Amino acid sequence: MSFLLRRNSSQLRLLMAAGNKITRPALSTTASSCYSSSSSSSSSPSSDNNNVNAVSPGASRQRKSTPSVPDADIKKSVFISQSHDIFTNLALEDWLYKNFDFSHHHVLLLWANDPCVVIGRHQNPFTEANVSKLMERGITLARRNSGGGAVYHDRGNLNCTFFTPRERYDRKYNLNIVTRALFREWAIKAEINERDDIVILNKKISGTAAKLGHPNSYHHCTLLATANKLHLGESLIKEPANYISRATASVPSSIRNLVDVNRNVTVAQLLSAVGYEYLRTTATALEDGGSVQTMQQRGFQLINPTEKWFPGIEELRANYSSWDWVIGKTPKFTVEKDLELKEDQHGMKIKLSVDVEAGLMKDICIQLPQSEQRVPVVTPLQGKAYNEQNLNGIVAALKLVSTSNVKQAMNGSV
Amino acid sequence: MVFITKFARFGAQVAARHMRASVTPLAIGQWRSFHITNMLDKERRYTDKHEWVELLDANKAVVGISSYAQEALGDVVFAQLPEPGTELKQDDECGALESVKAASEVYSPVSGKVTEKNAQVEDTPALVNTSCYDKGWLFKVSLKDPQEYEKLMTEEQYKTFLSSSADH
Repeated sequence: MSFLLRRNSSQLRLLMAAGNKITRPALSTTASSCYSSSSSSSSSPSSDNNNVNAVSPGASRQRKSTPSVPDADIKKSVFISQSHDIFTNLALEDWLYKNFDFSHHHVLLLWANDPCVVIGRHQNPFTEANVSKLMERGITLARRNSGGGAVYHDRGNLNCTFFTPRERYDRKYNLNIVTRALFREWAIKAEINERDDIVILNKKISGTAAKLGHPNSYHHCTLLATANKLHLGESLIKEPANYISRATASVPSSIRNLVDVNRNVTVAQLLSAVGYEYLRTTATALEDGGSVQTMQQRGFQLINPTEKWFPGIEELRANYSSWDWVIGKTPKFTVEKDLELKEDQHGMKIKLSVDVEAGLMKDICIQLPQSEQRVPVVTPLQGKAYNEQNLNGIVAALKLVSTSNVKQAMNGSV
Repeated sequence: MVFITKFARFGAQVAARHMRASVTPLAIGQWRSFHITNMLDKERRYTDKHEWVELLDANKAVVGISSYAQEALGDVVFAQLPEPGTELKQDDECGALESVKAASEVYSPVSGKVTEKNAQVEDTPALVNTSCYDKGWLFKVSLKDPQEYEKLMTEEQYKTFLSSSADH
């Protein structure tokens, strides 16, 4: 008994060293639990080397409401997607989220995409990017299922998705895996800021978003290694117009590539660094288990996201790539643009105002300043999909209209 | 935090055995106060996913998320609610609440047809944080099976559930 108590008090010290979150009231409960844990730890001789884990098997037996699995019973895998298609990768992520059992098996999915802009679940693509210009330049636009803001991806950017059961969701743990990997591999010192972005000298290298459901959840983040910064910047500029929208807005931040910090960084090496760091760290505590821990995991697995491997993934992909999802899910918004009309000597500012619902132009009208009155514009574009080209098309068509016409129309409609 | 709860769970049994005598009167006091709140408010029932339901009449109910849930979420910045007319089954995904960078699913606690959504919450999602049991309700349903409501947790049961699964 005294031997067990001694070991348990060393466990306590380790715990306190590992997380300084332990506060006083918690300490009193830990003290009593050491006492009761002696029976379970004596029954498992192997628990000597994984100090924290030794306590949990008994603990999970006592809890019925949320069965939590002890660390030692959780295996980890790193999945590497062989696809570079954003819609396929989003479908794979969603497939795993919906169908996989993560209770005894935590998964890190690593993936990289061909150039694309990915917006959050409740965002307005037109306030985050110039959708028409993206199309012209061959950059795909996609909407993911998680929250957060718009990001640019290309093959110089690595995406990491951390899957766990909902009760194991821990953003800080995941981000620390990434920063520890950067330090171990290249001695890069990165910080996690209050928005859960990873920054190096105040410039962002990683953005975070999460999806919380039942029973599963995931947290994913981007990691800029060698991305094209020019394309990134240009892709995230919206058409100059006044958008009135309730959609979740992005918080623009200046960014940095890891290659600018250390020129040896490549996406391939980053992938293996993050993957190994994930495997060598215990499942719930940020504790390095070294190669012993790594050897007990399921290791790296190359994933081919095809219908044969993941039945139903094609349907998910079709949904992610559909107009109905990418554009149609846009929360309703109004866009206003100033018009320059013919014979406008008085400098009267007249606005074009378009209401867009589910991505379609519902109401197109002209509005005078300081006036609630709206004159509907008759155009075949009504009811059609909104985009910047269509908006500018209407603006151009109205250039031929003179101010007096508008006034007449307004008087006429009273 | 995880360690603490692991230990806490472990200690619970022992602690309960040791402290039964001293703890009991206190617990009774708490339970009594819950009964009083129940009589003042209409009775709310809760799910293990932290949604609440309150009956408006025999087969109409209003749904929202619990104070615990809104606190765990943080500032809600966007609310996506089910459209009126949507047929829901119990535990169906029927919407989402987005807080800083995280989209959380809303699950329907009961089966039925959505009769109304709270447009105010769509306009001002922060209502979910400031008034989750009153102005921050999410949607109303006409119940298909009132039995489902009866089987959900009462306020006391929910509080016990929260304290027993304090894994956060």
